[in-house]
This record gives sequence, C-alpha cells and structure tokens, in this order.
Amino acid sequence: MIEVKNLTKRYGTNLALDNVSFSVEEGKILGFLGPNGAGKSTAMNIITGYLSSTEGTVTVGGYDILENPNEAKKLIGYLPEIPPLYMDMTVKEYLNFMYDLKKVTLPREQHIQEICRLVKIHNVYKRLIGNLSKGYKQRVGIAQALLGNPPVLILDEPTVGLDPKQIIEIRKLIKDLGRNHTVILSSHILPEVQAVCERIIIINNGKLVADGATDRLAHDLSAEHRLIIRVDGPENEVLHALTALDHVKEVLSHGEKEKGVYEFSVEAELDYDIRRDLFALFARKGWPLLAMRNTDLTLEDVFLQLTSGADHAKISSKMKKGAEKE
Amino acid sequence: MKAILRRELKSYFSSPIGYVCIAVLLALFGLLYLNVMYSGSSSYIYMVYSSMFTFCMMVIPILTMKSMSDEQRNKTDQALLTAPISVTSIVLGKFFAAFIVYAIAMTGSLLPCVAISLFGSPSWGEVFGYYLGSLFYGAAMIAIGVFISSLTVSQVIAAIATFAVSIFILMMGQISSLASGTFIAQVVDWLAFDSRYSYFTQGIFNISSAVFFLSVVAIFVFLTARRLESKRWS
Repeated sequence: MIEVKNLTKRYGTNLALDNVSFSVEEGKILGFLGPNGAGKSTAMNIITGYLSSTEGTVTVGGYDILENPNEAKKLIGYLPEIPPLYMDMTVKEYLNFMYDLKKVTLPREQHIQEICRLVKIHNVYKRLIGNLSKGYKQRVGIAQALLGNPPVLILDEPTVGLDPKQIIEIRKLIKDLGRNHTVILSSHILPEVQAVCERIIIINNGKLVADGATDRLAHDLSAEHRLIIRVDGPENEVLHALTALDHVKEVLSHGEKEKGVYEFSVEAELDYDIRRDLFALFARKGWPLLAMRNTDLTLEDVFLQLTSGADHAKISSKMKKGAEKE
Repeated sequence: MKAILRRELKSYFSSPIGYVCIAVLLALFGLLYLNVMYSGSSSYIYMVYSSMFTFCMMVIPILTMKSMSDEQRNKTDQALLTAPISVTSIVLGKFFAAFIVYAIAMTGSLLPCVAISLFGSPSWGEVFGYYLGSLFYGAAMIAIGVFISSLTVSQVIAAIATFAVSIFILMMGQISSLASGTFIAQVVDWLAFDSRYSYFTQGIFNISSAVFFLSVVAIFVFLTARRLESKRWS
C-alpha cells in the first residue's frame, strides 16, 4: 500500500533522512520509533506530500506522491504533529470545512456524526476549537484525518496530550482501524507502539536502524539471557557455587532482599539454557530457590541500544541474524 | 477553492477584522461625501474617490496580512497542502475572500452617491469609473499582499511590507518623472499602476488597463502558488 524507496531529505547541509526504504502492506499497523529529531515527522511529511524528498520516491496505493499528488492524497488521512486546527472555528465548522477540502463524497451529516462518535467529540461539536483542551484538540485532529474514510492513515504522535483513559481509548480505536486501514503511527512512547503495532521501524539520525515484527524485535536482541534469581542461603557460598558452574559467564550479587534471602544475576554463555543447572545446584546444596526470572530486553532497552549508537554495529549484526532466521 | 473561500470569508467576519475594515472605509467615505454635500455640487464626487484611494491602499495590507502567514504559523497549511487540491486553488480561495471583503466596502461607498442622485445628478460614468478602477487596482494590490503574506510567518511583517510596496507603487509615477525621457522612465511608466488607474477616473473603461491589472493578479497568484510549492523543497 505504501512504498518508500531510498528516501533522502536534506535541509541545507543537514541530512534529515538518509536513504530510508520500507513498505507497508495493506491493513497493517506500522510503528515509527525514534528519538526527537530523528526524522520521523520529516518522513511522514514526505509520505503525505507536504514536503518533497531530495531523493527517492514514495508511492501510496500505486500513485506516486509527486506525479499524481491528488490521487495519492485522496487515499491518505494525516494527523500532523501539531493538529492543523483553526482556532476561530467551531468543531462543526471545521469538520465541514475539511469535508469540503478533502472532497469527501460520503453523506455529509451522517459521516461527520459517525466520526464524532468514534473519537468522542460529539459533546464539544458546537464549541470553538480555540477553547477546547489539548486532549479534545488532538481528537478533533484525529477526526479530520478520518474524514472520508481514507484507506491509509498517517498519525504523528496521536496520543500526545491525552489522559490515560483517552490514550487507551485512542489506542483501541487505532487498533480497530488497523483491521481495514493501513496505518503508520509515530511515537516515542514505546509501550504504545508495542501495544498497537505489528511491525516497528526505528530510525535514528535519519537512518533506518531496525525494522521488524514488534515481538521479534525485542526477542532477537535480548541474546544476553541474564537471569535474576533469589536464593535462601549464605551469600558468599552461593556466589562461589554459582561462579564455579559450567557455562556461567558472570555472577553478580544484588545483596539481601528479604531476611536471609539474596538476589543474584547470572549471565550464561550465549545459546545455553542454564536454568536446569541452577535448579540442580540448589537442590544439591539444599538452598531453596525462591524466584527466577528472565531479563529479556524490553523495547526500551532495544530502543536505547539502537539509538545511543555505542552498540550499534553489534546490534545490527544481530538484527541481520534474526532476519535470516525469519 | 470554494471551501477555502468560504472559510476565509467566515474568518474575516468571525474576527473583527472584516467588520473593522469595512466600517472604517465606509465611515471615511461617508465623511468625504458629507463634504461633497456641503459644497453643494455633485461634481466634487471625484474628490471623494481620489482621497479615499490612499485609505483603501492602507486597508488592503490589513486584509491580506494573515492570509498565508497565519496558516504557516499555525501549521494549518499542512491540512491544506496534504488535501487533494491544487496549490493554485488554495491561493485563489484566499485571494477572492480578501477581494470580496474589499469589494463589499467599495460597493457600500456607492450608497451615498445613490442618495445624492435623488437630489442631484452625479456623473455616474465618472463614479463607476472610480469604482471599477478601485476594484481593479485593489485586486492587484490584494494579490501582491497575499504573495507577501506567503513570504513570512509574521502578520505584522506582512502588513508593513505590503504597505511599503503599495506606497512604492503609488510613487512610481513620480519616480519615472525623475528620469524622464529615458528608457527606464518608459518602463516604469508602463508598470506604474496610477497611470493605468487614471483612465478609469476619467470614466473610460480602458481594456488594456483592465487586462494589465488582471495580469498583475494572475502573476502574483502564480508566484504565491510557486512560493508554497517551493517551501516543500527547502
């Protein structure tokens, strides 16, 4: 549905996007992650035809955004980072204006009312947009993106300014929309992306640094397999016993967490499952094992690692391995 | 274009700007017409329009100052430029909205003249000449104002710059007289708005003048559209 090829954007000498390529199939929700200034909004602005790329092409539904802008734009509903609202209009006037602007052909009253119910703004329908709270403004912004029921939705940080309850509602709405729409969603709130998106693209400094299914992305990168365990036993002896185990790379004590109970983190060799050995050890020694948990990297860790740049090379090689496995 | 035109017109009248501009112009027209009535001769009506001309040129920057600059500042241009419409139709919508407000004021100015005609016989040819001339001249200035407004995100800068340009255009006739007889003077004279306008003031509908002003409108609408396009490439 959306094809982005070798997208490059320069602002003067500043490279905002560097050779970014990806595609989104119909009916998929794609998460766009990256720190501030990574190029998320620039990419979205180019896809929607607001900005032009320096190099590269964007096609939406088979239409090139530069060659057939009007056909392509008709397929897109766009919520920019700052919702494009006219403060001197009421919600009603604004939605009717956007309805005309987008040349929507669905039955006007019915369609607008339906969208208002969907994003829950019918109670402010006759109020001036300038007087609405940030959350309502954001929802009016989402409403205008939905006008005309476009098959592609591009949402730049759609839940900014909403309260937790609204955030959950909007996420659910986006998920529902994702069933019959193609959605690109940018965010720097990781749980949000994790909750809503099937696939994630991470960009940093204008470069695409990761592209993969949401669950795999976290899994593939957490190859360290560090275990956190709690043991009812003498600290030093346990530490020695753990260090003496085969395949153990590193053991750290986190100190006494409950009375007589110590916490340790154990890092095993790559691709070795140490859990059975641990159980056997403690059973032999008679030290009750009270807790054991895996520290899979969260998406936060993945994100930080990818965008901090230090482990960049290491992780991209892992990513590639992961991709090959798929 | 219609959607934008409607929105712009609404915004002129949902804020005081539209009313104030029209009210100020009509009040000044009224005052000057009052003088004509005191003088007791409808032949002085030309004085009304020749003094009002400057005031009209002062009001136009106020009308056009926010047309594009505000959109860019509030990022609402993102909605316009990502909608399936051409850039030219956006600019035309803006242009016609400002022009309609201006035309309302100018048309209102004919009312005192109607009142005078009940008691005397004003020269309607002359009055309509001034009226049409002001509309054409105003249209050209509005197109220039919209263009200037697209160059900046600040309404104030847009207004001041448009005002400066309109003063410069008013003085073009004098500039050409400084270098009279030279090629430059010929060019400036040809470009000068007031020599084109003066045909109308004599009650003559000069087609070439009308075409001249319409061409200025077309050129600046085109330039504004290109300006919006070029922003995408920056």
